[in-house]
Amino acid sequence: MKVINNILTNIRNPSQRRNYLLLASGTFILLGWGLALAWNWNRGRDALMIAAALIAGYDILLRAWQGLKNKQANIELLVSIAAIGGLAIGEYWESAAVTFLFLLGAWLESRTLNRTRNTLRELISLAPATAIVLNNGTQEEIPAKNVDREQLVLIKPGSKIPVDGTVKSGYTSIDESAVTGEPLPVEKAPGAEVFAGTMNQNGLIKVRATRAGTDTTLAKIIRRVEEAQEDKAPTQRFIERFARWYTPAIVVLSVAAFFIWGNLELTLTLLVIGCPGALVISTPVSIITGIGRAAKKGMLIKGGEHLETAAKISAVALDKTGTLTEGKPRLTDVISFHPEQIAAGNMADNIISPTYTHFMLGENAEENLPEEAKELLYWTGIAEKGSEHPLSKPLVEEAQKYYARLPEPDHFEAVPGFGIQAEYKTDSIRVGTVDFMEQAGISVCPEVRDKITELAREGRTVVLAALNGVLLGTLGISDPIRPDAGEMVARLRANGIKRIVMLTGDNEDTAKAVAAETGVDEVRARMLPENKLEAIRQLQKEGYKVAMVGDGINDAPAMAAADIGIAMGATGTDTAIETADIALMTEDLTRIPEALRMSKLTLQNISQNIVIALATVTALLAGVLNGSVHMSGGMLIHELSVMLVIINGIRLKWA
Amino acid sequence: MKTILRSNDMSCPTCVDSIETYLNKIDGVQKATVHFSTGRIEVEHDDGKVSEQELVEAVREVGYESEVSAF
Repeated sequence: MKVINNILTNIRNPSQRRNYLLLASGTFILLGWGLALAWNWNRGRDALMIAAALIAGYDILLRAWQGLKNKQANIELLVSIAAIGGLAIGEYWESAAVTFLFLLGAWLESRTLNRTRNTLRELISLAPATAIVLNNGTQEEIPAKNVDREQLVLIKPGSKIPVDGTVKSGYTSIDESAVTGEPLPVEKAPGAEVFAGTMNQNGLIKVRATRAGTDTTLAKIIRRVEEAQEDKAPTQRFIERFARWYTPAIVVLSVAAFFIWGNLELTLTLLVIGCPGALVISTPVSIITGIGRAAKKGMLIKGGEHLETAAKISAVALDKTGTLTEGKPRLTDVISFHPEQIAAGNMADNIISPTYTHFMLGENAEENLPEEAKELLYWTGIAEKGSEHPLSKPLVEEAQKYYARLPEPDHFEAVPGFGIQAEYKTDSIRVGTVDFMEQAGISVCPEVRDKITELAREGRTVVLAALNGVLLGTLGISDPIRPDAGEMVARLRANGIKRIVMLTGDNEDTAKAVAAETGVDEVRARMLPENKLEAIRQLQKEGYKVAMVGDGINDAPAMAAADIGIAMGATGTDTAIETADIALMTEDLTRIPEALRMSKLTLQNISQNIVIALATVTALLAGVLNGSVHMSGGMLIHELSVMLVIINGIRLKWA
Repeated sequence: MKTILRSNDMSCPTCVDSIETYLNKIDGVQKATVHFSTGRIEVEHDDGKVSEQELVEAVREVGYESEVSAF
């Protein structure tokens, strides 16, 4: 009784129902052949074949009818007409085989596809369902999605992190591969950000929750990846439009064939082999798998269209600061001009010919700078305090070592690409490039220029500082080059990228020093944001498909103008994910050539699939016309070609 | 309100049209979008007129099993 009840409820579920239909229809076909072969009882076989065709055909007919009601001729309609026609002309076995194979194919196909569909969703289900929250020293286990902001969550060694948050106390290392694709564990100290779904390794930490449930970074990434997978590639849109006309066209064609040759069996066979099944699935299966695989490696390709463009990239433009370099600049050189020399110089022309003192700052060395150098830092620090430029931070930090209460400027103006003009009380401070000094009529003598060039050739970014129109000194800032920058450039070239161009706001010498070390051979220095955009447009005019790599914020205009904008280190920053066409979750530069390579592989895979689909239809058509292919055989080969296309697409999982 | 359903039954992209059209005809459904690639069915609907469970039922009607999903 219970079994029957079970079957009855399961029949309400279309997936379960199809399984029963498939099983029953298959059994009837086997029994039918058994009767025919063992006892030569053909009537019995025919009866069983009719039953099998009706059973398997029930579901196909249902879907065909649903399509017709929506004024669409779908694949199910083709199969239904063929099967009914087969029964009408007495080809019972053919009808049974066609419907059974079609149902079996659909079953296999959806099972295989779901394996790909679910790879990402498994990630979210891997995030623990419960969290241990701390309330005044008592521990309580609650559903992870119910954790409120600011609640303290206890995370034990070896357990998965249930929410996004910041470490309040404790030290540990965390395997963040679920979010970033980066296999190496990351050290976490109080204040560090942690993400739901990542794996705590060795330490006990307390985390203040910031986001839970479907708001976590992991959930957002998965949602983004799914949206990317759903975004149709131009090829896919074309094929779907094509299929919408193709299917009714096949019906018309078959009818025409019937009137020409008067052969009903041939007509029905044409319907069966005309199914565009392999063709319509050729693109989506590659894109789901390609984008899914890329996402697992920490590369979010934002959709089919971007994927197709990324595969055709022939030039890559790179920002320097924060992309080729770490973006964590450090003050390395303090060069102060001697005030008494300045006073003795020819003040009338504002030309100074100072002798200077050069201090090199070590990473951890205890420095004891003389007064004049400290004063240089003091004034520079005040001016830079108002700025959000990445180079400001090390200057302000260094100044604050000596002047804990560094004042804010009263007035502040930043000229992008040049420098800063600031006022503090009655003093006027100017910090920036040589050009910026000269714009204000402050001349820079050859001796200082030589020193600046020398520093720049070592890869330093150099700024000058002047107080009330008198130069105080020069500061050298160094931003270490990322260790994998050279490998990235080499791999881009190996992948067939013809032009690799560095676009930077920094000066020529510094830029060239970084370029030489990383293997970039084209440098455009002193670029304002609009110049970068122009440079991209120029490359496009020369016929290149251009990718621009940047941090997604400062380089936004150039990234938008490029055919593909690639943002680095996008975890946790929504803007970068929003603006980029490809967002890289880590700071690992080799993901750039990897993302382009994955795109190319996916596009190739799509082409292979389309070739398989079209070649199968052509071969089958030829076979039908010369009489060697019949309905059941045609359906078998058709279903095999669909499976072949799916399996070929799924190969990308291991790319 | 917006409800997300997920179906594991979609084996070919043309299924999408049938489900989409069927859902869009239901009174109380503002907009239904079906994604073949991920098997996601997004439905904007008036909760008072048509419930989540009725949506699942409607998809079933077209011949596909689905379930309500958080996202």
